[in-house]
Amino acid sequence: MDRNQRPRSIIDSLGEELIAILTPVSICMFTVVLLVCILNSDPSSSSSASFSSIATEAYSESDSDSSWDKFVGAFLNSLVFVAAITVATFVLVLLFYLRCVKFLKFYMGFSAFIVLGNLGGEILVLLIDRFRFPIDCITFLILLFNFSVVGVFAVFMSKFSILVTQGYLVWIGVLVAYFFTLLPEWTTWVLLVALALYDIAAVLLPVGPLRLLVEMAISRDEDIPALVYEARPVIRNDSRLVQRRVWREQRSSQNDNNDVENRTNRNEVVRVVGSAEVEEERVGSSERAEISVPLIDRRPDQAENSETFLEGIGLGSSGAIKLGLGDFIFYSVLVGRAAMYDLMTVYACYLAIIAGLGITLMLLSVYQKALPALPVSIMLGVVFYFLARLLLEVFVVQCSSNLVMF
Amino acid sequence: MTVAAGIGYALVALGPSLSLFVSVISRKPFLILTVLSSTLLWLVSLIILSGLWRPFLPLKANVWWPYALLVVTSVCFQEGLRFLFWKVYKRLEDVLDSFADRISRPRLFLTDKLQIALAGGLGHGVAHAVFFCLSLLTPAFGPATFYVERCSKVPFFLISAIIALAFVTIHTFSMVIAFEGYAKGNRVDQVIVPVIHLAAGMLTLVNFASEGCVIGVPLLYLVASLTLVHCGKMVWQRLLETRNQSSASR
Repeated sequence: MDRNQRPRSIIDSLGEELIAILTPVSICMFTVVLLVCILNSDPSSSSSASFSSIATEAYSESDSDSSWDKFVGAFLNSLVFVAAITVATFVLVLLFYLRCVKFLKFYMGFSAFIVLGNLGGEILVLLIDRFRFPIDCITFLILLFNFSVVGVFAVFMSKFSILVTQGYLVWIGVLVAYFFTLLPEWTTWVLLVALALYDIAAVLLPVGPLRLLVEMAISRDEDIPALVYEARPVIRNDSRLVQRRVWREQRSSQNDNNDVENRTNRNEVVRVVGSAEVEEERVGSSERAEISVPLIDRRPDQAENSETFLEGIGLGSSGAIKLGLGDFIFYSVLVGRAAMYDLMTVYACYLAIIAGLGITLMLLSVYQKALPALPVSIMLGVVFYFLARLLLEVFVVQCSSNLVMF
Repeated sequence: MTVAAGIGYALVALGPSLSLFVSVISRKPFLILTVLSSTLLWLVSLIILSGLWRPFLPLKANVWWPYALLVVTSVCFQEGLRFLFWKVYKRLEDVLDSFADRISRPRLFLTDKLQIALAGGLGHGVAHAVFFCLSLLTPAFGPATFYVERCSKVPFFLISAIIALAFVTIHTFSMVIAFEGYAKGNRVDQVIVPVIHLAAGMLTLVNFASEGCVIGVPLLYLVASLTLVHCGKMVWQRLLETRNQSSASR
């Protein structure tokens, strides 16, 4: 059969945008799991010493406490953390309202530099120590400094190659996620659940800060200044030329139409899942507070049934998907914490998170309004972690240690 | 025994599926999504099964009939889920066809349907290999190795990787057979898939005998190659049929 003459089937390109966003999420999770396995496998290392940050202000877990104490302590920790994030988000909303966009951009750049330089430097030092890699201070500092500066430019100036920008964003996500996995165990799980609940509240309540932020951004038709991962969409003509669409072009064509509901641009799906990073005060080591901006869908109503269904399961024909860095980070934290127990839980949580992301995109197309991106994945991930740990492991180990498989 | 050995065991179990993935599946994003969803389905079925069997575990070490019961119930449940998977796929196929009609593209070709079935089977196979073999491989990356008394000639990791490879093959290709059987209403194909799965599961019970894996594993590979051959024959026939049809209608 002559492949060149055969017309392209529809499954050749369906679901491309979903895969374009699943790939970096998977890479981020894989890198965090790898780091956790490498750096935590050495029991003689002292890196498990106290990691104090704002998330452990209220209570530091120690092994000798009872379960109830640990749970209460973890709950207090998460309350403190969520309160801090709420305050920070409201400050962000206020600054955005007063149009201090330049200050926000400068602050984002500064925090990216701190993450890349400080957290990145710490991880690299741990890796150098683990692998006994011979390198001297001065070379290391020069390389680190250059790397961080290029990273800041890549993330905030859009003239860089898209791969470099995406790579740096994923790397920033990996760094922050690794440091979050160093929190004590109970605190991590309760914190993840608390953040998922906070995300729902902040996006769906009318007084929620993220909802205010999103509405302001839509009404002014501006970008929210945030660290956001963008998967550039690819459009195909019938002549099979592939062009990369610069999504800002599409957005500028909407400026003429002030009415948010009647966007006439039919093939446009702009899904924005953003998050803003705000730096917290550092105690001992650096801490990042993540704010998730909800998913926004600006597509007008589609009349056709099957196309809506396909859009609903995220396989629509066009669109630019942007995912906020906070979502990357918390998915990776969940998987990293699962990796500290066993690899089976890692696989279970990975599949749960991917399923949650797919469900969130489906819900977005059904409800057509701002939706939080964290809750479904985190809840599914936590449920699958506990199911895998309590039920699955015993079953599978029983079977395979007797070489009985099906 | 070392990182190299650990990676080696992982590749023994998953190498062919990795090459299948890179050469066929990664070209089309829809197939990647199919692999992910069928992996998720297999995981959910495994969790439900482990939930059902949890009160009865841990089973006694030398008695083989509880394991037989376990294998039979698990295989029946998973085959039931395979039928459900087929139903969902049928609905999706109708949606895709009507979508293709609307954007005036050709409907799903036969090779597309076969590829989707292959991707579904690969998802099941990869999930099996990951949960039954890879998740236990963590000690293999360390400095030592592990032997079980029942199969003392070969390290435990290696024998479980070999068994996992056989099962990956069986799962991958029996999904293609099953989907074609359900599509054509072919009774033989529909029945042969659960039979193969059950036979393979039962053959692993042979490993209970001392040094049973010397007999059990080659027989398992016999079943796997039977699946491969049957699937190959069936696909070849279908492709020839379709080509004859399309050249006759011109």
